[in-house]
Amino acid sequence: MKNTRYKMPDAGNNTSWTGCFFFITMIFLAACTPKQKDLPIFGEREVNGTDTIYHTIAPFRFVDQDSATITNDVFKDKIYVADFFFTSCRTICPIMKTQMLRVYEATKEMPDVVLLSHSIDPEYDTVALLHDFAERLGVESKRWHFVTGVKDSIYKIAQTSYFATAMEDKAEPDGFIHSGAFLLIDKKGRIRGKYDGTKPEDVDRLVEDIKRLRAEHV
Amino acid sequence: MACQLLFSCSTKEPKFQQYYVQGEQLYIKNCSNCHQKDGKGLGLLYPPLDQSDYVDKNLHEVLCLMRHGKEGQLIVNGKKFNKPMRGIPSLTDLEIAEIATYIYNTWDRQHGIIDVKETASVLNSCK
Ligand code: HEC
Repeated sequence: MKNTRYKMPDAGNNTSWTGCFFFITMIFLAACTPKQKDLPIFGEREVNGTDTIYHTIAPFRFVDQDSATITNDVFKDKIYVADFFFTSCRTICPIMKTQMLRVYEATKEMPDVVLLSHSIDPEYDTVALLHDFAERLGVESKRWHFVTGVKDSIYKIAQTSYFATAMEDKAEPDGFIHSGAFLLIDKKGRIRGKYDGTKPEDVDRLVEDIKRLRAEHV
Repeated sequence: MACQLLFSCSTKEPKFQQYYVQGEQLYIKNCSNCHQKDGKGLGLLYPPLDQSDYVDKNLHEVLCLMRHGKEGQLIVNGKKFNKPMRGIPSLTDLEIAEIATYIYNTWDRQHGIIDVKETASVLNSCK
C-alpha cells in the first residue's frame, strides 16, 4: 500500500465534471489517508495560528484501591482506558468488568498502557471495598486503578471530560444511570476512541486501536 | 402399549424442553451478567455455576437464593467468595423452576426436570 498516489489526469481538455471528480477524490484522499494511520481526536478544538489545541481530560484527584493518590500525573506518558462503574451494580457493570479484564490481559506486555475505573457510587465504594474488588478480580493495582473520590467531581469529569453519562437516579433498578463506554486516552490526555464496554466486538476494536495508538506515539 | 409409550414420551419431553428453553432465556437475562453465559463466573467476584460443588449439593438453597439472594462467605470448589448476591423477587415459582432446570441439565449435569410443584414447596420453606 506504499506510495499509491493518485495520478493526475491530463488536464488539457477536461470537462468541469472530471475536474470536480478529481477535486472530490483529493478531499477523500486527504481525509482518509491520515486516518488510516492516526486515530481521530475527539472533542472540540481551537486553532490558534499554527497550533491546534485539543480537548483534554481536566485535572483530577482521586484515591485508588491502595489508597494511592491518583492524578493526571500518574497517566503522564501512558495510554489509558477509562470507564465508570460501581461494585454493587447488577446490570451492565459485571459485563464491563469481564470485558475490561480482556483488555487487561491483552495489554499485559505493554508497560505504557493502564486502566482506570471510576466508581460512580464513591460513598459506598470505599478504598477497602475497591481493594477487595480488585483482589477478587485478580488484578494488579499498578496496571488497573479503581478510584473513588468526591462524588460530584467524578460525575463532573465523566460528563465534561470523558463525555460519558454518569448520574444518580433513584428510579433506576440500581439507583444510577451510566454509560457502558470505554474511553481510550492518549499520552497527551486526549480522547482517541469510544467503545461499548458491553460488546466483545467493540472491545476487540479497542485492543486493535491501542496497538495503533502505541505505534503512533513512537 | 405403544400408544402408552408414545403418550408418556410426548407429555414428558415437551415439558422438559419447554422448561429448558425458557430457563436458558431467563438465565441469560437474569444471571449471565455476573455468572457469565458459559457459567464460569468471574474471578473471586462471581462464583462459577458450571463446575460448582455448591450447586451439585444444594438444590434447595439454589432455588431459594434466586428469590432471596445470598450473603456472607461462601465456599465453592474450595475457593472463598464473599460478595452479596441480591435476590430477584420478581421471579415466579415457574421461572425459578425453569432456570433451575436449565442449570441442572447443562454443563455436564443431567438432573432432569425440576418441576414447578416441587419448586413451589421448596420456596415456601426458604429460611
Ligand atoms: C449481580 C451479580 C449476580 C447476579 C445477577 C446473579 N448472581 Fe448468583 N451470585 C453472585 C454472587 C456475588 C454470589 C456469591 C454470594 C456469596 O458470596 O454469598 C452468587 C452465588 C450464587 C450461587 C451459589 C454459588 C455457586 O456459584 O454455586 C448460585 C447457585 C447462584 N449465585 C445462582 C444465580 C442464579 C441462578 C442467578 C440468576 C437468577 C444469579 N445467581 C444471578 C452474583 C450474582
